[in-house]
Amino acid sequence: MDKYQFLITLAGVIFSLGLLGVAVRRNLLVVMMCLEIMLNAVVLSFVTSASRSNTVAGASMTFFIYVAASCEIALAMAIVVLLVKRHATLDLDAHQDLKG
Amino acid sequence: MNKLTLILMLPFLGFLINGLIGSRLPKAAVSVIACGMPALCFALTWSLFSGIYVSQVPVVEELFTWVAYPGFKVEAALYFDQISAMMCLVVTGVGTLIHIYSVGYMSHDKSFARYFAYLNLFLFFMLLLVLGKNLVMLFAGWEGVGIASYLLIGFWFQDSEKTSAGLKAFIVNRVGDTGFILAAFVIFFFAKTLDFQEINTFFANGQTSVAMMNLIGILLLIGACGKSAQIPLHVWLPDAMAGPTPVSALIHAATMVTAGVYLLSRLNGVFLHAPGAMTVVAYGGALTALLGATMGLTQYNLKKVLAYSTMSQIGLMFLACGVGAFNAALFHLFTHAFFKACLFLGAGAIIHALHGEEDMRNMGALGKKLPITLVTFLIASLALSGVPPFAGFFSKDEILWSAYSGVNGSLGLWLVASISSFLTAFYMFRAIIMTFFGESRVPARLEKGIHEGPASMSGVLILLAFCSATVGFLGLPGPLREMAGVTAPFYDFLAPVIGHVQVVGAGGHQVEGAGHQLETLFMGISIVVAFAGIALAWLFFSLRKQWADQVKGRAGYAYDLVSQGYFFDALYYLVVRFVDWVSESVLARRVEVGLDAGVLTAPNNSVNYASRLFSSLQGGSLQGYVLYVFIGLALVLLWGVLHV
Amino acid sequence: METFFILLFGTAAVLFAVLVIMVRQPMRAALALVAHMVSLACIYATLNVHVVAIFQILIYVSAVMVFMVYTIMLLDDRDASFQQRFSRWVYPALIVAVLIPVSLWLLPNDSSALVAPAGGPERFTFAAFAFDFMKTYWFHFELATVLLLIGVLSAWTAVKEGLDG
Repeated sequence: MDKYQFLITLAGVIFSLGLLGVAVRRNLLVVMMCLEIMLNAVVLSFVTSASRSNTVAGASMTFFIYVAASCEIALAMAIVVLLVKRHATLDLDAHQDLKG
Repeated sequence: MNKLTLILMLPFLGFLINGLIGSRLPKAAVSVIACGMPALCFALTWSLFSGIYVSQVPVVEELFTWVAYPGFKVEAALYFDQISAMMCLVVTGVGTLIHIYSVGYMSHDKSFARYFAYLNLFLFFMLLLVLGKNLVMLFAGWEGVGIASYLLIGFWFQDSEKTSAGLKAFIVNRVGDTGFILAAFVIFFFAKTLDFQEINTFFANGQTSVAMMNLIGILLLIGACGKSAQIPLHVWLPDAMAGPTPVSALIHAATMVTAGVYLLSRLNGVFLHAPGAMTVVAYGGALTALLGATMGLTQYNLKKVLAYSTMSQIGLMFLACGVGAFNAALFHLFTHAFFKACLFLGAGAIIHALHGEEDMRNMGALGKKLPITLVTFLIASLALSGVPPFAGFFSKDEILWSAYSGVNGSLGLWLVASISSFLTAFYMFRAIIMTFFGESRVPARLEKGIHEGPASMSGVLILLAFCSATVGFLGLPGPLREMAGVTAPFYDFLAPVIGHVQVVGAGGHQVEGAGHQLETLFMGISIVVAFAGIALAWLFFSLRKQWADQVKGRAGYAYDLVSQGYFFDALYYLVVRFVDWVSESVLARRVEVGLDAGVLTAPNNSVNYASRLFSSLQGGSLQGYVLYVFIGLALVLLWGVLHV
Repeated sequence: METFFILLFGTAAVLFAVLVIMVRQPMRAALALVAHMVSLACIYATLNVHVVAIFQILIYVSAVMVFMVYTIMLLDDRDASFQQRFSRWVYPALIVAVLIPVSLWLLPNDSSALVAPAGGPERFTFAAFAFDFMKTYWFHFELATVLLLIGVLSAWTAVKEGLDG
């Protein structure tokens, strides 16, 4: 196989690892980090496509992903702080507000 | 507007006026409107009748199309032929007289206007019944007279006994109506029409099987039995005497109860091809005649005696229909209307004089104080008993002769009819002797005020007695016709529509022409029978009163059986109790519980279970939700991969 | 040579991602994540897309991860999630995580339509990239800055609301 196929597969594997982490870890902060892993996998796939087709579009898209990631992390951290204040714990199993 | 439609709508107009604003009008106005409408109808009927007497062409009036559907068409149409003419004349003529009588009878009643409104309503429906051109119109009138009867029987509705009598009448009628409707369905299934002329012509060609014809006949008979108070649906008629006496005269003597006879005559085309049904009609009629007469023997209420007498006489009319002598049945209907109305109105005069007393044990020696009533009552009773030259003799005799000589006829039927005539004479004169003669058993408080009713009442009585005496000559039987050299206008008038016809496939003593000696012999026997009944009544109740009590004592169980109406009421009560038990113990306790569990609770429980199952998906775990999203995404991708 | 680098850095990325999931303390997970992002940047460099590689380090490692480390320092607590690392969705999540790459691997690979336009690796130098970027995607860039602004404001509001309420 050539490198591009390998890289796409790699992106898929990293994405699923991130998803696994989101679903599996109980610590809220680690879950946020695994979200970042998923985003990274997406960036990797875009870059691979850009490199393969030699266009700028893929690379430009990564910028917008970076923007989204930055906004997301700012907001997410604020929300995390508030959530932890509310429930007094980082354990996701205690955050049952969406029940029912 | 056409005369037929006017005849129909005038009483309805009277009902509307008296019903809506009558209580605010003076009594005179109400009476004029109420009596004027039937009088106008009578005048119109007479003019139409004279027309048809000459031309013999029926008058047809189509009002509108009621139902128009591919394969099923019902017109609201009126039909005036010879039978309708006769029935209309009776209904409007006797009806007008009874309206006039009611003005005097009900003058002290506080619901004067309501009474006349209901009476006019009844007239409207009865005319609809006899003028209808198809089974639907007839049935509309049929049901309507049932409603009017219910309203009038329970006229004094504050008394719950009277209202339950009205309910009983209506419900028993309903049972008969089931037979009627089923008959209509079967007729439509074969003939594809409900029009009378078309029905009669369809069944005349004899294609339908005899079994089906018998079925239709029996179903129609059930309907007729309900309306005409024949066994086994007769239980409502004695209780119906709870209504005002003119109502009993009009509805339960002269007109409504004869609707069954009218129905049978109208559909004679069906019956003539159903020998089995005809036999049932004949024997049923004979049985009712006999049983009704025996029950009249034991009654002490004057009106109930007359009610059982009506039942018995209509039994004779059914007997005549059953042996194919439809014209004899209709002639007896005609004469019976006059003398029975006269009898009921006479009883009304007595009750009016005694301020509501109906029990004959509290009457006696009224003849001196109520002479007009006595004479008219006597004339009408003689007519009923079949004494010549009064009307009842000629009509009853024709029926007795047909019972022997008609198809399905036999000596047995003649014997039963003769015995009923004997009993009729006996109990009628028992009633007369107990009421008018002997010593007075009237309670002291009523003694003073006994006097004849106003002119409206007495005048009607005299007129009706006169008719009872004379109308018989319109339909002389065969031998007498020959002797006197005249024709019978009544039978000639009806001949184009109904004659003495042959019933397909039945036997009987077909005696034509040379049988006049036998007929004259039978006539003589019936005269003897009538006088024997009168004489015996005089013997038992006037000369040797103790014999009556001895017979009653010796009869014992037989007396109880007869006076309790052969326990028909008890039997029906048992049936009702049984149905009630089934409904309560079987249906409510067992079936409904099971149904509730299976149909109501089980789906409820399963829906609850399913919803709890689904709600457990929303456990509140965020990570679970994320997984659900991605599982869904994975499935979508998988589908995309497979189908691309 | 290129293949070797890609293999090396690819394996490193996967290894560090697994470490993020597995370690118990959040701080160590954060460090593993930093290493994961750096190895990804190295992959980008190997592919000659240096612009994106630089920005990966600049934005992700220095901005996002530092922010995250600050939050960890603020909030880290040895609570129930410290003793019990994994939630009850382990097995379903494992299955899903295996299925996604497998299905991606099985996707039909149609590369015939792609035609590489003119210009080789020099395409992704800063000058060339900036020129292309500004010419074609300037609007999207402006949009992105507005988004950033909204993000900052929302974060500010959220914290303020949270502090008041």
